[in-house]
Amino acid sequence: MQLLKDLFRKKTIGGICLVILILFLLVAIFADVIAPTPMVDGNLPMDVRAGLQKPFENPAHLLGTDRLGMDLLSYMIYGARTSVILCVCCTLLSTVLSLVIGVLSAVIGGWFDLIVQRIVDAFGCIPQMLLLLIMMAMMGNGIPQMIIALAVPSGIAGSRMVRSSAISVKDSGYCDNSDLLGGNVLWKAFKHVVPNIMPLIIISAAGSLGGVVMMEASMNFLGYGVAPGTPSWGALITGQGRELLFTAPWLCIVPGIAIALLTFCSSMFGDAIRDLLDPRLKGGVGSYNTKKLNKVLARLSRPSEAAAAEDVA
Amino acid sequence: MAKYALKRILLLIPTIFLVCLIVFVLMRSIPGDAVDAIVTRMTKSGQTVDAEAVRVRLGLDKPWYEQFVIWLGQVCRGDLGDSFFQFQSVGDILWRQLPISLELGIITLILSNLISIPLGLFCAAKQDSIPDYTIRIIAVILMSIPMFWIATLILFYPAQWWGYAPPVVYVSFWKDPIQNLKMFLVPGILGALTQAGMQLRFVRTQVLDTLRQDYVRTAYSKGIKQKTVLFRHAFRNAMIPVITIIGGSVGALVGGNMILENIFNIPGIGTQMVTALGQRDYPVVQGCVLVMTVFVMLVNLIVDLAYKWIDPRVKFD
Repeated sequence: MQLLKDLFRKKTIGGICLVILILFLLVAIFADVIAPTPMVDGNLPMDVRAGLQKPFENPAHLLGTDRLGMDLLSYMIYGARTSVILCVCCTLLSTVLSLVIGVLSAVIGGWFDLIVQRIVDAFGCIPQMLLLLIMMAMMGNGIPQMIIALAVPSGIAGSRMVRSSAISVKDSGYCDNSDLLGGNVLWKAFKHVVPNIMPLIIISAAGSLGGVVMMEASMNFLGYGVAPGTPSWGALITGQGRELLFTAPWLCIVPGIAIALLTFCSSMFGDAIRDLLDPRLKGGVGSYNTKKLNKVLARLSRPSEAAAAEDVA
Repeated sequence: MAKYALKRILLLIPTIFLVCLIVFVLMRSIPGDAVDAIVTRMTKSGQTVDAEAVRVRLGLDKPWYEQFVIWLGQVCRGDLGDSFFQFQSVGDILWRQLPISLELGIITLILSNLISIPLGLFCAAKQDSIPDYTIRIIAVILMSIPMFWIATLILFYPAQWWGYAPPVVYVSFWKDPIQNLKMFLVPGILGALTQAGMQLRFVRTQVLDTLRQDYVRTAYSKGIKQKTVLFRHAFRNAMIPVITIIGGSVGALVGGNMILENIFNIPGIGTQMVTALGQRDYPVVQGCVLVMTVFVMLVNLIVDLAYKWIDPRVKFD
């Protein structure tokens, strides 16, 4: 709660981005209620005879329609559901995976650590995009497959950072005491080490939130994505958006802006969270501190005010 | 130093072996294989082929571990095998397409560094001013725009409005340098902008971090000009972690940018791998990954060794 308060007070832009993210989440949850033309049996209704319609002309189709007369606004709303599901599940899965691999590797140490780290290194050397494509080709298209394909490589990659921070924690007094009191390795790992590196975990999870939507869209472009028929922003751009670029530009532009907005808000939110949780980075990379900005603005506006006052005089 | 380098090179071997093994196993667990595709293609052109014969000819009839040992033996003798589809050896394919990806990568790298390092330094020097905020927000926006989307728009709309389109037929640099650079200009700038967004933020943090060090305060209190402090004291020290990041992107550029290469029709490694993956052309994918891995690891090694040169305090153990 204190964190939320700080977020809105100190990092207003981060707070606004959080509000937008929550809006996306609500749209995703209540897609069936909000959408002007809700899904029927898992498919969006079409009106082939009406065909392409421009945005803002027909109040029933506020963002226009695609070639088959499908309402773009409803498509976007259901697409938000796909994106939010992917974002949340991927981030959770990859965080848990990196936590388990990293912490166990650090706490157990010895041969286990050596072998696990070699495997992690090896995965890090394979180009990320290729790894994703191979995994998608292996499992086929679909949302669950996509979640696994996106989360596993990033979880393995993230485990390195978790390991290095867990190593710095595991030799502290309380961990030694846990050993002395006869606590086993798992107890030590998850009762003592994990809570102490939690801020770092939250920072990295919040930071990786935005990349998921972008990767999903990029993979759709290369032909590996969600199952055909599932509404997805990336699929819309790759499919009709590119085909009808001249006759129906809105089919390409609207989903692109949606992806950019979601990614932008996630990154800004991630930056703000990191600034609040990581004391080392105070005023660091993404500290969009409004207080300081206001000061600067005040300083800048003062001379002009003085000038204005002189003019009046 | 030499001992350290030797140790690192010896450590490369198990990692490279593991990478090969992982890719080998993953590739073979993809449903469907090249045999199906070849048989369909042959049947369409009116020939009758025996699927089993094709399988034996491609060496796919043996269990995977046997195939792996055979392939590994070939690699040790310097032969990356032949493509299933292109009637060419993987070595030839790499020799032809790697320079193309490298060219795109180098252009991207140079442009992104030209943008990110000066701007990052500027942002750090003017911390929390309006230009700083503007540049950083633009950096995040650049990172959030899907590359394939903006590339599609850039490829088509200028063509419609002003009749300008980047060339889509690849010409070798040695034949026609201008035409060649024209083709790489737009994708290079696009790739550079995305990367610059990330790098700029990193450069800024690092410079800010060094600006808080004691030696910087000492430099200021000696009465040195801000410019000198910034360039002589802060910048050089801040560059050490930045070099790591640049090294990482040098490693990535050999893999080519699958998306940019696909959109702008650049026949590089990225395009090649997407096609090969779709066709289940195992030797091509394996060969590409092997070459990339070796390259990435060598670059990382060079970066680590370069630390000694940039930062004399570094000691290898």
